[in-house]
Amino acid sequence: MFERSLIAAIAVVLALGATTAEIRAWDDSKYPDLKGQWVRAPGGGARYDWSKPAGRGQEAPLTAEYQAVYEATIADQAQGGQGGDPTYRCLPPGMPRVMHVYAPMEIVVTAETTHILIEHIHDSRRIHTDGRVWPQDMDENPMFSGYSIGKWVDTDGDGKFDVLEVETRGIKNPRTYDPTGIPFHADGRTVVKERFYLDKNNPNLLHLELTTIDNALTRPWSVVKHFQRVITNKPIWWREDVCVENNVHVVIGEQNYFLSTDGLLMPARKDQPPPDLKYFNQTRR
Amino acid sequence: MLFRMWIATVVLTTTLAMGVTASAQELSKYPDWKGAWARFAIRGLGGQPSFDQTKPWGRGQEAPLTPEYQAVFEASLADQAKGGQGNFIDHSARCLPAGMPLSMVAFLPLEFAITPDATYVLITGADHLRRIFTDARNWPEEIEPSYQGYSIGKWIDEDGDGVYDVLEVETRGPFKGPRAFDATGLPLHFDNQSVFKERIYRDKTDPKILHDEITVFDHALTRPWVVDKKYVRTPNPRPRWTENNCMESNNLVAVGKEMYAISADGYLMPVKKDQPPPDIRYFKKYDR
Repeated sequence: MFERSLIAAIAVVLALGATTAEIRAWDDSKYPDLKGQWVRAPGGGARYDWSKPAGRGQEAPLTAEYQAVYEATIADQAQGGQGGDPTYRCLPPGMPRVMHVYAPMEIVVTAETTHILIEHIHDSRRIHTDGRVWPQDMDENPMFSGYSIGKWVDTDGDGKFDVLEVETRGIKNPRTYDPTGIPFHADGRTVVKERFYLDKNNPNLLHLELTTIDNALTRPWSVVKHFQRVITNKPIWWREDVCVENNVHVVIGEQNYFLSTDGLLMPARKDQPPPDLKYFNQTRR
Repeated sequence: MLFRMWIATVVLTTTLAMGVTASAQELSKYPDWKGAWARFAIRGLGGQPSFDQTKPWGRGQEAPLTPEYQAVFEASLADQAKGGQGNFIDHSARCLPAGMPLSMVAFLPLEFAITPDATYVLITGADHLRRIFTDARNWPEEIEPSYQGYSIGKWIDEDGDGVYDVLEVETRGPFKGPRAFDATGLPLHFDNQSVFKERIYRDKTDPKILHDEITVFDHALTRPWVVDKKYVRTPNPRPRWTENNCMESNNLVAVGKEMYAISADGYLMPVKKDQPPPDIRYFKKYDR
């Protein structure tokens, strides 16, 4: 009788152990608290390296070839053009530029994915932490946000993850680092590496170490960005940001025009001719 | 010896049981809605995705429209027959979000990310995402207009098994618009005062099916319109998510209130017979 009870108890122990292991496959207490709304810390801006001024002040380590591309972009913008920056058409900024965090950011951590949610053009990203491998066709099917695979790391051995390491590949062109049009290589082989972690002394400060590896650069370009959590006791309102809603740019073929306040086409640069309307003449015949 | 083993087993059992209970409460209260949920397509319906999945789009929906909005709908169809976009121009030509309820049609698979404070519906395309707040917040005194509306949800354990199985959601505006139920421009009221109530749950007999029972309250309708939208979980446990950027591939151009097309060789062209070209008066000044 006693032996049967013991056997039964051991069986229960084994069953409970298995159940516990399954449930604890996702234990959110193991992850840092990244809830809430994150915005750029003071000093942040619409530029790659927040420690330096915009444009040429970034001192981007471009190759001679791509420094020339950049100079041509600056010249085009000086004449009213957009240079290589595609975002005026409401195309996504892509990686790594979405991490300028143009609008408040939300980070949603689940077992399989860490979602970076940013309401600006199409700036949201998925960082897959489900053990997947790189898709074989990602170079043929790139995305502006790229394909991001991440890994949580417990660097201090306290049983709780504190760093999210991410690598992003398969990033689509056209992209630039910033609105001045610092360019990426046309080969679309950019790789971005990131480390996200909370400040050890301030849990409301998030650091992002970001390194871009690109063939337009003479070396990997590493920067650090900082974000601060919005502290409020009120429910957070996430504002919808719809780029195309008030976009005054109209692209016809290779040309960009403006939309006037009265809804008519107008030039975007001096002496810009109107669009060729040859197909409309044909309907008049 | 056996007695000591027995005591140890009892202690271990009790410890595990406490741990499991705590973990179950914390971790397993919510249903498994992971993965990619594709639109449930009914063979033979034809046309574009429809609000009521069991019926064809457009007139086939037999939408309970008021006479006034039936006329708006007919005008939209007539404009589309002549090459226009009718009441759908903002989404098709300008790449504006479709908004509720069309954002739930799942042109591309949806993802549901569940946390205790919110359930996120991640939508590929011009509609980025919806947030369904489940943090017991109250309705704000003022809601800023948006395409997706403001959604508050509540989890329900209908069968009392300790696991939530239904997410009840209410979504209010004011909305931005105009919005349409489908690509024919089947209209919602231009006052943008819609209210949506949803019940989202996994099918009891087929766990690959997710239901979203949507009830639309809208002044363009003669009565609340209730549909059961179903989604099918795709089999890949690690779904491949794609991008869809309307502005990237759109060959329609809106200039003011008019819509044109971009020809294959990059020139502006009409979309309707005898459509005049755009007014280029502002360019003439530079020709002087």
